[in-house]
Amino acid sequence: MASGTVNARIRPEASWVRVYVWQLPVRLAHWILVGCLVVLSFTGIYIHNPFIVAVSDRSWVMGTMRFIHVMSGFVLISALIWRFYWFFAGNRWARWDQFVPFTKERRSAMKNMMEYYGFLRWWPAPQVGHNPLAGAAYCAVFGLLIIEILTGLALFDNILGNRVLHSFIGWLTLLINLQYLRMIHFGIMFLFGAFLIHHVYSAILISKEERSGLMDSIFTGYKYISPARLSREGVGERVERH
Amino acid sequence: MSDVCLPEDKLSLKDSLTVRGINRRKFLKFCSTMVATLALPPKYVAQVATALSNVKRPILVWLEFSDCAGNSESMLRATSPSIAEMVLDLLSLEYHEVLMAGSGKYADAVLQRVMRENDGKYIAVVEGAIPLADGGVYCTIGGRTAIDIATQVCKGALATIAVGACAWDGGIVRANPNPTGGVGVEEAVPGIKVVNLGGCPHNPANTAAVLTHYLTFNEMPALDRYSRPLFAYGRVIHDQCERRAHYDAGRFVQEWGDEGHRRGWCLYKMGCKGPQATYNCPTVRWNDATSWPVKSGHGCISCASPRFWDTRSPFYNRIPDVAGFGVDVPVSEIGWALTGAVTAATLAHGIGQAIRTRFRPPQEATAETEADVSLTGSS
Ligand code: SF4
Repeated sequence: MASGTVNARIRPEASWVRVYVWQLPVRLAHWILVGCLVVLSFTGIYIHNPFIVAVSDRSWVMGTMRFIHVMSGFVLISALIWRFYWFFAGNRWARWDQFVPFTKERRSAMKNMMEYYGFLRWWPAPQVGHNPLAGAAYCAVFGLLIIEILTGLALFDNILGNRVLHSFIGWLTLLINLQYLRMIHFGIMFLFGAFLIHHVYSAILISKEERSGLMDSIFTGYKYISPARLSREGVGERVERH
Repeated sequence: MSDVCLPEDKLSLKDSLTVRGINRRKFLKFCSTMVATLALPPKYVAQVATALSNVKRPILVWLEFSDCAGNSESMLRATSPSIAEMVLDLLSLEYHEVLMAGSGKYADAVLQRVMRENDGKYIAVVEGAIPLADGGVYCTIGGRTAIDIATQVCKGALATIAVGACAWDGGIVRANPNPTGGVGVEEAVPGIKVVNLGGCPHNPANTAAVLTHYLTFNEMPALDRYSRPLFAYGRVIHDQCERRAHYDAGRFVQEWGDEGHRRGWCLYKMGCKGPQATYNCPTVRWNDATSWPVKSGHGCISCASPRFWDTRSPFYNRIPDVAGFGVDVPVSEIGWALTGAVTAATLAHGIGQAIRTRFRPPQEATAETEADVSLTGSS
């Protein structure tokens, strides 16, 4: 897409191909994760340090916060399981290999992106799906989510006393003391916050640089890709052309 | 010593109680308390009473190593109708350094005699951690190391009861940096049968309940994965706390002595560790079930939890400090600082980007063509 950005002038965008990149399950999982993370962070900060002090006799603030926290935790788990299933069932840009730079090409594209972010290149390397650097970052986010889920379930197990849950996660408190699990569970939230800031910034940035409609694509699923780029990626029949 | 103890050994428990002037009413009251503590249905009171009346008093040896004697104190501080009184009567307490009249070689002789005469039949109660560093020299009694005595006594015992945090997992003795290499009994003497009664100190009601269970059913109560009896350590304190309604409602003490504190609101923000502690403290309570820490206005420090000195401190903060960041740096500060740093870096990048867009050549004019990207790749 090198050609892309520049080249609105030379090559009109009308000639670019509208490609269905993000399938519905990918977009849904994305937005459910976003929603859950926002809700979980807010309720989590409250549970850590209850900043609303209720005075009325009828209030049920902490009870409500905890209920929402636990429930959205389970929604997040479900969304993540769904997304992991889609690693194998989804289209080529949803697959698991998009998140780890296995091929030489993806590694070099990753280096290219790092150079771009580090002001060592003028332009970013174009990609149809995730660029490999972003993919690796999402891989780290998935890892952090798994840690959050495991520590969260272990903390929940501590108060729930359910045998099934206990046999699933009870071993964790033997390995790492409950209090350190709590610290990890709380500390990782900030990493999501930091990630969110960077993620939104880079999405806007790359969307502008590529002019591929990247920002729209997480709502609609469609990106605009130069024909050159498409043929290079060997995308054939599965592309929807408009 | 032995002359005083021996005749009573021959008495059944019932007779021994009569000799000591404990009437049946008091005795049955004790039995009901024990049944309640053990979380058994009330119908067991009769069974417990019958069993305790007829049983021959078990011989008990109380060992004390690296500790503050707080568990002995806790046992003795109960008042009438006293669990301690009952326990002391229920058992033939043959050796207890703090309580016994004899000392020096006489005391030692008692211990040796008890072990010789009752091999495999006495119960050993251990209080205090056992230091293992430098061959165990940091705790010696009569020239013998704690580990030496514990190994001999506990291996010959029917069962060992570890009372208090120190005997369970090393307690404060084992707390970082643990210069004496202190550990709990279970770890110091592997392969013995131990019932751990963690807590700083242990609650004598629970210890009495364990013994009552043993005397009635001839086996130790069901244990959890830390070998602690489930009846005492099976439930989270937070779920039994009388301030719990304030917690759920969101009414928290903000400062010691503030309005909320005076009104008995939840101590969560003052660092109460009730949510991560399992113990029956709120129901059994202390000083004859008068009160317990949270009821008296101080947060729980989770003293019955594993390695609590290290893992539950700071006692007045919610979660532990992060290692390597100095003293008193909470996770939240590090987290906010990190988020701030990323925000700053992102802003800086944005400024850099704005400058770059002013100067850079059009993409096709640079060497960075799409081909360039792929060339380094496979095709
Ligand atoms: S005082 Fe402690 S144990 Fe009681 S409800 Fe509050 S946090 Fe839980």
